[in-house]
Amino acid sequence: MYAKRLSLSLLDGLLLLLLAGVLAFLGYRVSVQLNYQWNWGAIPQFLFRYDAESGRWMANYLTQGLLTTLRLSLWASLLALVFGFAVALARISNSLYLRLLARTFTELMRNLPPLVIIFLFYYFLADQLVFLTGSGRIDADSHPWLTRLSTIFLAPPAQIAPFVSALITLAVFESAYVAEIVRAGILSIYRGQWEACHALGLSRWQSLRYVILPQTLRRMMPPLAGQLVSLIKDSSIVSVIAIQELTYQGSQLMASTYLTFEVWLTVAAMYLLLTFPCSILVERLNQRLNRLQERSA
Amino acid sequence: MPLLPETNNLGFDRENMVKMRDVCKTYAGGVVALDHFSLDVRRGEVLVIIGPSGAGKSTLLRCLNGLELIDSGSIVIDGIPLDKNEANQLAIRRKIGMVFQSFNLFPHLSVQENINLAQRLVQKKSPAQANTITRDLLHRVGVLDKAMRYPDELSGGQQQRVAIARALALYPKIMLFDEATSALDPEMIGEVLDVMRNLAAEGMTMLVVSHEMGFAREVSDRVVFMEEGRKVEEAASAKFFTQPQQARTREFLSQIL
Repeated sequence: MYAKRLSLSLLDGLLLLLLAGVLAFLGYRVSVQLNYQWNWGAIPQFLFRYDAESGRWMANYLTQGLLTTLRLSLWASLLALVFGFAVALARISNSLYLRLLARTFTELMRNLPPLVIIFLFYYFLADQLVFLTGSGRIDADSHPWLTRLSTIFLAPPAQIAPFVSALITLAVFESAYVAEIVRAGILSIYRGQWEACHALGLSRWQSLRYVILPQTLRRMMPPLAGQLVSLIKDSSIVSVIAIQELTYQGSQLMASTYLTFEVWLTVAAMYLLLTFPCSILVERLNQRLNRLQERSA
Repeated sequence: MPLLPETNNLGFDRENMVKMRDVCKTYAGGVVALDHFSLDVRRGEVLVIIGPSGAGKSTLLRCLNGLELIDSGSIVIDGIPLDKNEANQLAIRRKIGMVFQSFNLFPHLSVQENINLAQRLVQKKSPAQANTITRDLLHRVGVLDKAMRYPDELSGGQQQRVAIARALALYPKIMLFDEATSALDPEMIGEVLDVMRNLAAEGMTMLVVSHEMGFAREVSDRVVFMEEGRKVEEAASAKFFTQPQQARTREFLSQIL
């Protein structure tokens, strides 16, 4: 195949011009008609601030929000993967009971608005969950190392109760989608592979573990990674239950500074900072797997 | 007092490896695959099953190792009844090796790993033990030089020979061949039939669903012709081909010979 030359036609030029025109018009509307005073200079102080007491630069609201989003997404992803796999296995189980249970769960999660699920979980279950984990009772003074650990990996002890419940809610909700991906992956394997396993005397679990899953993991990787990127985006909805992640910090900041456009554009850029590298990673992964498959074919 | 009372109750005799009685199997769509089918296969016997497509030949094999569940009737394999008892089912699956039309090798494992897998998982053999057996079998089926290759790097004939080796690695007492050469290019059929011929000569009990009449005539002890889930004719292979009794058999043979 010949490499495609990058060339601009007249139509491309016109479209670009049109796009630039629309953007310029929007900018004009905002600055002239709304009489909006742009103040980008105020934004950096909300990313990092100089702490005079300790003489160090410290993360401020937005950066802290970004880190919270990162922690939230990381743990929720891991939990969603584990739980999603379990649900997928239940959905293809021999037991009708398990199949119905798993089916009900995925249908509920996929057919309810995420916001409603978040509220339901938060108000009905959060208290129970926190009571069970006992994480609401960490005494900051008596366990300084535990406080540090909790602050680095989860949230400061005072916020850990809502953080953990948000985490679990997010993971449970996303696990329904993970389960569908895993189930579709398993079902995509030709029936003959199961039959060969059966004929060789392998148990159902052994067939899955040594024959079916190794073949399907490759196929599941791209959609799973894509789902994890959308988990990062979906994590913004927990701002409604006052988890201090990026979107929450953005809305708080906007309310106190009225720098509407600057704040939300910055927040958008920060989300892109998280999701765009992930998307590129997914793309790379895809290409690599395709190459591997081509070589083995 | 008989030595083995429970097996005697089942009418088990040492010579019969397979005993099917009045087996019925209807698929969910209403297709009758087996209609009161009975069959005995003796130890060391090579039985070829022929018939038009949709006759229930594959279903017959698949019912024997539990890939399909029967609706009624009874199946006894080497003295063990195929029933709801899971231990019995597993014991039977371990006695029976099966070779499929589409090979069904595991594409993510090398040839050697394909054959090692069940030895390691089912028989709990050490890697060294499994390797010894695997290499010996690969040598016997003539693909030892491909041990480290992956299935899709092999020709169809080579893949099917590996599939036979994989089934043999568990030392089955019965081998089922479900149209093992039907998916092969003509020039590769011979090499697979050679392996099956050697296996028959070594005394393996074999049930072969096949359209290879030459193989049936030369290697098999007995031929069963079935249609619409019923046995039309059953005879020693020499007699079957020279003096078929039923008009339907003669018609079928004249079509395919």
